Amino acid sequence: MSQPVVHIQNLNLQYQQSLVLQDLNWTILSGENWLLDGESGNGKTSLAKVIAGLLAASGNIKINFNDTNKLTAKVLLVESWYQFKNLEGVANFYYQQRYTSQQAKETLTVKAELAYYAKENHLSIDDVEPILEIFNFSSLQNSQLIELSSGEHKKLQLVKALWLKPQVLILDQPYTGLDFKSRKSLNLLLDEAASAGVTLILISNDDDLPSSINRFATIVNKKLVTVNTKIDLQQFIPQRENKTIPTFLRTSPVYSSQQIAKMENIQISYGDKKVLKNVSWEVKAGEKWLLQGHNGSGKSTLLSLINGDHPQSYANTLYLFGNKRGSGESIWDIKQHIGLISPEFHWYFDASATVWESVASGLYDSVGLFRQLPYSKSILVDELVEYFGLTEEKNRLLNTLPLGAQRLVLLARTIIKNPELLILDEPCQGLDKQQTQHFNQLVDELCSNGMTLIYVGHFESQLPNCLEKKIVLDNGEVILIEKIDKESKKHKASDALSFALSI
Amino acid sequence: MANYFNTLPLREKLNQLGVCEFMDNAEFADGVNALKGKKIVVVGCGAQGLNQGLNLRDSGLDVSYTLRKEAIESKRDSWKNATENNFKVGTYEELIPSADVVVNLTPDKQHTAVVNAIMPLMKQGSTLLYSHGFNIVEEGMQIRKDITVIMVAPKCPGSEVRAEYVRGFGVPTLIAVHPENDPEGKGLAQAKAYCVGTGGHRAGVLKSSFVAEVKSDLMGEQTILCGLLQTGSILSFDKMIEKGIDAGYASKLVQYGVEVITEALKHGGVSGMMDRLSNVAKVKAFEVSEELKDIMRPLFQKHQDDIMSGEFSRIMMEDWANGDKNLLAWRAETGETAFEKTPAGDVKIGEQEYFDNYLLMVAFVRAGVELAFETMVEAGIKPESAYYESLHETPLIANTIARKKLFEMNRVISDTAEYGCYLFDQACKPLLADFMKKVNTDLVGKNFNEGKDGSVDNRRLVEINEILRSHQVEVVGVKLRKAMTAMKAIKTA
Ligand SMILES: NC(=O)c1ccc[n+]([C@@H]2O[C@H](COP(=O)([O-])OP(=O)(O)OC[C@H]3O[C@@H](n4cnc5c(N)ncnc54)[C@H](OP(=O)(O)O)[C@@H]3O)[C@@H](O)[C@H]2O)c1
Ligand SMILES: [Mg+2]
Repeated sequence: MSQPVVHIQNLNLQYQQSLVLQDLNWTILSGENWLLDGESGNGKTSLAKVIAGLLAASGNIKINFNDTNKLTAKVLLVESWYQFKNLEGVANFYYQQRYTSQQAKETLTVKAELAYYAKENHLSIDDVEPILEIFNFSSLQNSQLIELSSGEHKKLQLVKALWLKPQVLILDQPYTGLDFKSRKSLNLLLDEAASAGVTLILISNDDDLPSSINRFATIVNKKLVTVNTKIDLQQFIPQRENKTIPTFLRTSPVYSSQQIAKMENIQISYGDKKVLKNVSWEVKAGEKWLLQGHNGSGKSTLLSLINGDHPQSYANTLYLFGNKRGSGESIWDIKQHIGLISPEFHWYFDASATVWESVASGLYDSVGLFRQLPYSKSILVDELVEYFGLTEEKNRLLNTLPLGAQRLVLLARTIIKNPELLILDEPCQGLDKQQTQHFNQLVDELCSNGMTLIYVGHFESQLPNCLEKKIVLDNGEVILIEKIDKESKKHKASDALSFALSI
Repeated sequence: MANYFNTLPLREKLNQLGVCEFMDNAEFADGVNALKGKKIVVVGCGAQGLNQGLNLRDSGLDVSYTLRKEAIESKRDSWKNATENNFKVGTYEELIPSADVVVNLTPDKQHTAVVNAIMPLMKQGSTLLYSHGFNIVEEGMQIRKDITVIMVAPKCPGSEVRAEYVRGFGVPTLIAVHPENDPEGKGLAQAKAYCVGTGGHRAGVLKSSFVAEVKSDLMGEQTILCGLLQTGSILSFDKMIEKGIDAGYASKLVQYGVEVITEALKHGGVSGMMDRLSNVAKVKAFEVSEELKDIMRPLFQKHQDDIMSGEFSRIMMEDWANGDKNLLAWRAETGETAFEKTPAGDVKIGEQEYFDNYLLMVAFVRAGVELAFETMVEAGIKPESAYYESLHETPLIANTIARKKLFEMNRVISDTAEYGCYLFDQACKPLLADFMKKVNTDLVGKNFNEGKDGSVDNRRLVEINEILRSHQVEVVGVKLRKAMTAMKAIKTA
């Protein structure tokens, strides 16, 4: 028998005084493609980084590349956290920057980025064309990196990896942010790569996997545990108790207006590129909306209008909380009614704030905390931090936590105000199944008190129950506004609908 | 036009130089009300213009842009910046006559021409706002007596002005009212409201005067902020090459070293930076910086004297009239230095290594910050103003070097700062020639602690710590930093 592709013996990894992985062993043979799943924060991402050589650990880690193979002799990790850089190599952006038009071009275009990647890795541009085609990416070649949506950034990352074809490919939560069709395409491409000899390690809690996945593992108590089927992995996710929500979140929000948002024929464009066309939509107090659309269809832009983040809202007919936009209100007047989370918001959040400060900053809609909290407010923060199970971590810096835990912090920040309007743009990225379920239950509970909700989610199986109406965007246009039929939702009819829409 | 400052009697000179008051939060309780519903028209849509305007509009104010005809006709970048963000744009004739506040955010060198063009169009009792006082103080621009003249000067590049605002904070800002032009007594209220509109009120505001802002701003940017960082970087790099250190390593150490080292200033001032060194290294850095202070003091004093007497602006304006002959020659010379031409190597340098292997820069920074501060205070500038223009801005400027070396720094800073920076650099390099002959790789390029047992004399160390901590720049710094610590860390390397 040939040598194993990856051979790990007695791996130990320490992070800030505590052991993350202990005497971990793992043998990956040629022809095997692994799924690694489990509780959020169990060390999956760290293990992936160690194998990819991005994190130093003690123990024996051997990667045996096959020299007769045409594939690139490399372990490539597609990280779940993605950070693009500007021309000066700095990743120092802010959330709203994407919406502001600035002539000083700060980032590369997709085309230039791909050309750079080709040069760096000795690849041929011709080989990337078909992959771009499959991901519907060809039309984005001239876009600046900063203009891409989070889903589009994820695709770009995947395009690069599939183009490079490394001998070992590790993908950490590759489906997050991808629309239904792109998830399907990704699975096909991964199967293709596997049959060409790429060894896959897939970190995911998604149900729909590439058919080439044939081995299953999780990390329990800092060690690798292998099982026979995907279903067997479920048992290792501990049952977390369902806590009762803090009293201050059980009161109904006080509405200043029955009209939350009203848009009339909204047009948004950057140069010649139109991102929203003729969008009209009204959200009334207490309504629960699902917002859907493909990657890059304009969802985040639409939400940025409501959150006061888009400069072009001043040239459009838009009413927020009963006031016409641009009639003398400040963005802070608008934001005080809203709790918002989105993948971009997480990317650009101030990672040098502590957990407690991050949650508290939601009271003032700031990214990071700049004021002293009155006692009456600080006890609310304590209570919510406890509810989210973060009390032990409350003084840690946000960027020292695993992504899932960071996400929980920002979710707590989103609701700390008990806002009139909750905008949840893919809120559960990075959470495990159970955490997602818990959070959606919490959303249902908040909404039963009359909170208004706009929810964006690509995974039909992971939505809160309270959603009543749905708006679908395609290519910047509203193509559907309808009531959600609760019965058909249970049968996942919407998934079929999105699929139908995608072809 | 005569230099405004030089027309003042000594008493009034001292009086205006001494305007300096750190403002309490409560003074901004009225928010943007003083400007609510007023028409704000910004001239120029560049780095400061676009970003200040975006903030003001997001604070609920009425903002539009006026550009010179050519810019509108040929749809220059300034026109695109404004229109693509949905601002109204018009010619001077179209927008100035109805403006309540005209904001001049064109380059300083253009101010006389711009103000001469717009002033006749400005309505009775309107306001003219600047973000730097050069035109008023050094060129002595005379503004119609019915017009109120104020200044709101963010102490940061335009991009930071925007980034800090949208995250709910702001950048430290100086505000001032020109005593010759406050006919209705509304200047201060409007300056405060404008400052709230840009978010500056959240990050520490200093009430200053046009005179104090200009005389301290020029001094800071010529010496510690730009001039000395440039000189120190070039000399350090050349020394390492002379001593056979790998060029790629040397380039990286210098390019990113200034940023990493001065980042420590933001949190703990000069002593915080020195505390990053081991005890032996600290004693050495202290001694080297004392020597540097002795060598450079006369040069710092000359710069301050020339700024005060107006000699500096006279020769700079002579150069403007001469088609920027000196500026362009010095810019080219800077572009041709070995440091500028050598790309940073692909080597990993740890955060602490930047301190241990670049003790010389730590010494330069301490010497430069303290000297600039001391010289300004001796010249009658108040310690708080001197702090803003020395220690506070150093890490912000160092960040631009980390991005793209000296080229980037000189591109981002104003034209006036660029000129002053070269002027200082030209004089400082020869002054340090003898000193540099003695410098070896233990101070730059290699770890100073290597081969030393690390022991120091207790009394000497205590004495040094005491001297560092009791310096006036540290005492005011502790107070001012409380208001600004929330500023986001700017990280590159
Ligand atoms: N840079 C800083 O870090 C900083 C910090 C604080 C304060 N300031 C102050 O802010 C002011 C603006 O500086 P900046 O750095 O923002 O300048 P900038 O980026 O160079 O922008 C200059 C703007 O003025 C326009 N302009 C240039 N020449 C003109 C003329 N003759 N007539 C009319 N418009 C003209 C330009 O547009 P067109 O060329 O397209 O017409 C451009 O929109 C200065 O007073 C500066 O001292 C700057
Ligand atoms: Mg300056």
